Amino acid sequence: MSSSSKNDVSKRRGAGQWAVAWRRFKKHKSGLFGLGMIIVLLFVAAFHNYIAPYPAGSLAPLYQGDAGQPPSLKYLFGTSVGGSDVYSEVLHGAIYTVYVAFSGTIITMVICIAVGIVAGYMGKYIDEVLMRITEIFLVFPSLMLILVFARIFQLRNSNPYWNLLGIQIPIGLTMVILIVSVFAWSPYARVIRGEVLRLKEAEFIQASKGIGANSRWIMIRHILPNVLPQIVVLATLTMAGIVLTEAGVSFLGFGDPNTITWGRLMEESFPFMSTAWWAEVFPGLAVFLTILAFNLLGDGLSDALNPRLRE
Amino acid sequence: MGLAKYVARRLIYMIPLILGISLVSFLVMYSAGDPITIATMGNPMITETEKQFLRHYYGLDLPIPVQYFRWLTNFLTGNFGNSIYGNKPVNQLIASLSWETVKLQLVSIIISFLIAIPAGIYAAVKQRSATDYTVSSISIMGISLPVFFTAVVFILVFSYDLGWFPSAGAHGAPTLWPVFGIRNPILDEIAHLVLPALVLTLASVAYNVRLLRAGMLEVLRQDYIMAAKASGIQERTILYKYALKNAITPLLTLLGLSIGGAIGGAPMTETVFSWPGLGYQFVLAAGRLDFPVVMGITMLITIFILLANLITDLAYAWVDPRVTIE
Amino acid sequence: MHILEVENLKTYFFTEAGIVKALDGATFNLEKGTTLGLVGESGSGKSVTSQSVLRIVPKPGKIVSGKILFEGEDILAKSENEMRNYRGKKISLIFQDPTSSLNPLFTIGSQLTEIVTQHEKMKKTEALEHVIKTLKLARLPDPEEEIYRYPHQFSGGMKQRICIARALLLNPQLLFADEPTTNLDVTIQAQILTLLKDLQREVGMTLVMITHDMGIVADMCKYVVVLYGGNVMETGMIETIFEKPHPYTEALLKAVPRLDQTKELVSIPGNIPNLIELPSGCVFHPRCRYAVDACKGNKPPLEEVEADHSIACIRWRELNGGR
Repeated sequence: MSSSSKNDVSKRRGAGQWAVAWRRFKKHKSGLFGLGMIIVLLFVAAFHNYIAPYPAGSLAPLYQGDAGQPPSLKYLFGTSVGGSDVYSEVLHGAIYTVYVAFSGTIITMVICIAVGIVAGYMGKYIDEVLMRITEIFLVFPSLMLILVFARIFQLRNSNPYWNLLGIQIPIGLTMVILIVSVFAWSPYARVIRGEVLRLKEAEFIQASKGIGANSRWIMIRHILPNVLPQIVVLATLTMAGIVLTEAGVSFLGFGDPNTITWGRLMEESFPFMSTAWWAEVFPGLAVFLTILAFNLLGDGLSDALNPRLRE
Repeated sequence: MGLAKYVARRLIYMIPLILGISLVSFLVMYSAGDPITIATMGNPMITETEKQFLRHYYGLDLPIPVQYFRWLTNFLTGNFGNSIYGNKPVNQLIASLSWETVKLQLVSIIISFLIAIPAGIYAAVKQRSATDYTVSSISIMGISLPVFFTAVVFILVFSYDLGWFPSAGAHGAPTLWPVFGIRNPILDEIAHLVLPALVLTLASVAYNVRLLRAGMLEVLRQDYIMAAKASGIQERTILYKYALKNAITPLLTLLGLSIGGAIGGAPMTETVFSWPGLGYQFVLAAGRLDFPVVMGITMLITIFILLANLITDLAYAWVDPRVTIE
Repeated sequence: MHILEVENLKTYFFTEAGIVKALDGATFNLEKGTTLGLVGESGSGKSVTSQSVLRIVPKPGKIVSGKILFEGEDILAKSENEMRNYRGKKISLIFQDPTSSLNPLFTIGSQLTEIVTQHEKMKKTEALEHVIKTLKLARLPDPEEEIYRYPHQFSGGMKQRICIARALLLNPQLLFADEPTTNLDVTIQAQILTLLKDLQREVGMTLVMITHDMGIVADMCKYVVVLYGGNVMETGMIETIFEKPHPYTEALLKAVPRLDQTKELVSIPGNIPNLIELPSGCVFHPRCRYAVDACKGNKPPLEEVEADHSIACIRWRELNGGR
């Protein structure tokens, strides 16, 4: 096994690997299904203002006397007790989910890649220090601190939006994403470090060391591309994890009060669940399907990119 | 190295970790906001003098290093301070709530492992069969289900619609439900336990099945399994003795982590079911920024996780002769 | 008398990439009480042959068709339960890598005793004694002490001795040794080969040496079966094979370094065949220096060309002067 995996490392280089992975992924039905669901999510997030029957936060159903109505052709997911159209609100919420999934994952990945590669490649005391820090983050009861952090930001935050090049970025939500990401990277950093340690012994790395390439060059030019398959899989799983945690934080009432995310919709409808279940279940279903989509995609990618795990 | 010496050394190593975590949590919380302002926000009658008195009473007017030092010396003597809400000692609060949490967690961890072990093995042995696909698809859905969503659906179906089980609390029936209509205290407790335990079990069983299936698939490929088969060893012995012992080690870590984390309860599930345990209490305390309670529970969980890690490592060394405790 | 008769055996692996024909109609017989060499490059179907005989072909592999007769009994017709009485007891297998073929989490004593108690009605203590006796037979020093140790506490050579003892525990009539020395140091290799040779004589079992090493074959075996691409190319007495070999065997022999000859080593051109899309006709024709157009046509049958010598090659007669 060990001798064959060494061969894998040298074979893995080059663009052909991704083409092969894609060919293998195309045969993975559930993976493709997950990808399809994510494309739908992205589409909804991009065009939510055009698809949704009512604008975000609109109480039009209330004024028509339609508050707390069950699902019907007019209101596909029914209306909340507060008088908003659940279908529209779920569609509008998609954009926040996409924002959470992608920005959270980018932050998490940047931290875990940096820590994993530097610790694995540099070794010695740098590795020791970084792994001790990782250990603290692993042991930390993270949800506890996430909730406290989120609560503090909830109370302190006065300005709801940043205006970045004309795009309104919700500060509260961004803070939640930051907090969640800061506590999400530690297990992945270990995985990447392990992979780097394995790669370090590979011949082509030893060869570039032999011809005098410096560490940063080797890390960026040789190690990074080779841990990329692992990173792609981990990133997909991170997306699922971050969406889940953010929804949970919002559901518990610790989210950004200025953005109506799916978790927030669930929080608001929870007290009225016995009379208007639809306002609680449909946003929950949206969270579930999104996480499922990322997990299915992750499984598919993992099978396609790490054939060693298969036959 | 002797076992006692190893354990002693590991315990000593925990001290800086615990101190570090307490310091970070403390600094973050106490430098962030004024809990008295938050605690009294709902009370328009309170005067600034009274608030000042409260701050002084809880020592919140002292410099932060002094506050931390006071907290630490109290913590070391087993005194976790008093809750800002209700002024109850935190260790009493924790003690009174932990039984409910432990009860809920224990039930769900045991059921989860009892289901996951046969399901994971069966799916791996019958790889690519209809059963395998069913188990695998159910488990990927299981890991994707947010606990709060499962909890909500279960309450809607089994409590509101069918009326079988109560939707909140751990005992005492405000409403009567037809199935457990009898006023028997034990049946009453079980009826309250069913839904939250089911939700927690569902959440963990899916992870465990996936992990065990993957582990078994890896092990069943090994030469020593084929060698055992070639020696005419019974299928049952191969699966449940030879393969399972090799595949169970990753699950051991997970078991250790879940038992370690169990003391913190399941904040989501406990909150949805208003379960009077540590998890729900933590969510309440975090919302009110009731720092002594938050600190108390955080430290309790940290210590439990560290101890569970140690026990896991010892168990590893016990299961796998190649692992030596160094 | 033949202890084992294999006829037109086909064992395929149904992978996602396609059907891998690991054995595609292998036929050979095995004389009782001798040593047979099963020779071929990796991927020729050597290991799958022994796995097929024991019916332990790993998934997604399957014996598709053919006949395996052990002492005249049809192995493929046996139930899984009956099969257990063959595995270890009548037919045994020694694996290539002793490290991976011993379960790391159990002491060698417990692993070996389990095999005895599952087959024989023996008490634990008796079984343990039998294990110790067999370990002594395999020349493991101090077996009384060593049975309480775990596999990782032994060297590779010692582990292979343990594996040999495991295979001999129940006095099998037929023993497959699947490249038993490939993963060992050169000095240990010789010891293990001598041990196997001695044991074969002492116990009187039939030994099948699965190997790619013609040197080992020449040293140990009386009969040889040459496999290539899941097909038997040639079977026969060692002397006849060395004298008038099949073109493939000839190429194999030329690739072996020999001290007594100064001839240049010649490697076989090309690669082992793709088992999913086997070449038409003779599977060896794309690499054969004697290949003609006719070789691409029909698969040459395995024919007895002289006493104790069968060949699957349409050109062998003319190449060897005919008869």
